[in-house]
Amino acid sequence: MIGVVPALNACEGEHSRGFTFLGAKGPGEDLFVSFHDLRLSAQRRAAHYAAAGLRRGDRVALVVPEGEHFIPAFLGALWGGLIPVPLYPPVSLGKLDAFMEALVGILNIARPRVLVTTERVGKVLWSAVGRIASIEKVITTEELAKHAGSFPAAADVRDDEIAFLQFTSGSTALPKGVMVTHGSLVANCRAIVREGLEADGAKDKAVSWLPLYHDMGLIGFVIAPVCYRISVVFIPTMSFIKNATLWMETIHKHRATLSFAPNFAYALVTKRAKPEQIARWDLSQMRVFGCGAEPINPGTMRAFLQAMAPAGLKPEALLPCYGMAEATLAISFVPLDEPLQTDRIDAERYHADHEAAPVSNGSAFLEVVSCGRTFVGHEVTVQDDDGRILPERHIGGICFRGPSLTAGYWENPEATQAAFRDGWLHTGDLGYKVGDRVFVSGRIKDILIVNGRNYHPQGIEWLVNEIPGVRKGSSVVFTRPGAASEEIVVAAEARADDAAALKAQIVARVSEEFQLAVSDVALVPPGTLPKTSSGKLQRRKTREQYLNGSIGRTSRLGSTRLAVAKHLALSLVGRARHEVRKLLGG
Amino acid sequence: MGESIDVVEMFKQAAFEVDNRRLPDLKPQTVITTLGMDSVAIMELVAWFEEKLGVRIPDEQLSKIRTVKDLRDTIARLLPDRQFAA
Repeated sequence: MIGVVPALNACEGEHSRGFTFLGAKGPGEDLFVSFHDLRLSAQRRAAHYAAAGLRRGDRVALVVPEGEHFIPAFLGALWGGLIPVPLYPPVSLGKLDAFMEALVGILNIARPRVLVTTERVGKVLWSAVGRIASIEKVITTEELAKHAGSFPAAADVRDDEIAFLQFTSGSTALPKGVMVTHGSLVANCRAIVREGLEADGAKDKAVSWLPLYHDMGLIGFVIAPVCYRISVVFIPTMSFIKNATLWMETIHKHRATLSFAPNFAYALVTKRAKPEQIARWDLSQMRVFGCGAEPINPGTMRAFLQAMAPAGLKPEALLPCYGMAEATLAISFVPLDEPLQTDRIDAERYHADHEAAPVSNGSAFLEVVSCGRTFVGHEVTVQDDDGRILPERHIGGICFRGPSLTAGYWENPEATQAAFRDGWLHTGDLGYKVGDRVFVSGRIKDILIVNGRNYHPQGIEWLVNEIPGVRKGSSVVFTRPGAASEEIVVAAEARADDAAALKAQIVARVSEEFQLAVSDVALVPPGTLPKTSSGKLQRRKTREQYLNGSIGRTSRLGSTRLAVAKHLALSLVGRARHEVRKLLGG
Repeated sequence: MGESIDVVEMFKQAAFEVDNRRLPDLKPQTVITTLGMDSVAIMELVAWFEEKLGVRIPDEQLSKIRTVKDLRDTIARLLPDRQFAA
């Protein structure tokens, strides 16, 4: 069990295994970089960083879309004992201003001395650079690839030193940088590769389209594979988003055995794959299709397995997992060879009694996916608000401890103390345990996760509050389970002069500002949304009322109601409601 | 060479094929992100254009495209030999 820097150093002579970058040499032309060459290219970048005057502990911001440029720049920083700060590149449509704001916000917290980017992206970023006082120099990946002086020796990093800062994705309000340490990386990579996947670099091959500025892509498919010399084929994220079937096509072509993605990707590829493609693919060698990073919809998982069955996909290959950046990456994995397991629990008792009681015949139920068990040396408990450990099948906050815990948030002691208390990481997720199995059923913190990105409801609520017709300070934003990912719902108090027009305007404004699709708007009379005794709106309670149908329904069966009913019928909670309606005769 | 390319009409077709969305009122000045499509659907729509027209819009240019007209202008720059409807 060695760290990523010594592991990279030990790659000398490893010419047969390495990383393949799809299309990196031109359309249809892939680039293979052996682990031996990857070590050399990391050393070269480390030499450039040293020549630029960077010293151990200095931060290096990385805004580099292409994996073949990002990975050497990132590993080179680790080699020199620097702290890389990976950031997402400006690639979503029409969001340049919002992107720049987020970038400036993050970098003024991380305070890097150097920004590494590509020549092309650099042209877009120049206006932001002047707003980040700490940046002394912009270095392009083209410059980093040039010949450098003598290569520096690998930094002798200690386990408690910060390896890199992982900023939470997508959020602009008060970004937090998780301090991933060299020690937490070692522990979590070992847990994932050895225990979770039982992977063997001599036999296994991974495929990933995941973005490299995100923990699942960066730790799961760069750092862990370097530590254990597992070959990986990288698909550019944008190529996957544009053509989701490329994911399966690449697995088929490379005879891959391992891949991971969030729930939405499984829904997307199931929707896009044509029967004639599936008939051509051979997915029988796939050992693990991991699913994590956002709530797992059992319907999506079953649809994917069913769609890919003709390609020989084994049902037990699907591996739901649970984790988060604060835990380095992984908290729990479903054991290998165990097919999808779900728990059907009584919906009424879940909401009313906070208990996960197995459903009895005919009752409305929630279906929750088992996220497996945690790793040796780690522990998961479910705790109440006072920190008492709850018995099994009781709903509470999921807590985690063990050597994979990160060191908290960069220069943010308040947030660190709130999440890391009494030796436990308080994940902010709600759930329960059955034996050693972890079930995640909701979120305490109100972060909205849509298509793998995090959004803070406050920002959206602020925007909605500014729309004429909405009662000031009366809007609440939350998610409901959707077919592919979580979906956004806005509830607001308004006088319904022209409800349809106001709803359309809310949808348009949120979409424009956040590039986020609002799936439903529930307008209610002034003063009817649930509030605390001090007059604060209660987001969780509003969401519960929405999901159980006590708000957001018109009195007559209008088209909106039909659409909502139809949609809910497809969703997690919807299935339960559907069952109830069937019992009541429609 | 060839007939002129009407990006607005193509956009309507793309939105229907990719996201099952009908956009009868779409105009050149429509801001794409106000149409209620999520970011994944929008990128699929961009890919639809790329495939139909045989172009590749560089990723870093995407962040500058706000309106349907911006998309049209970006594609027109990549295809200097083709005619585009106003």
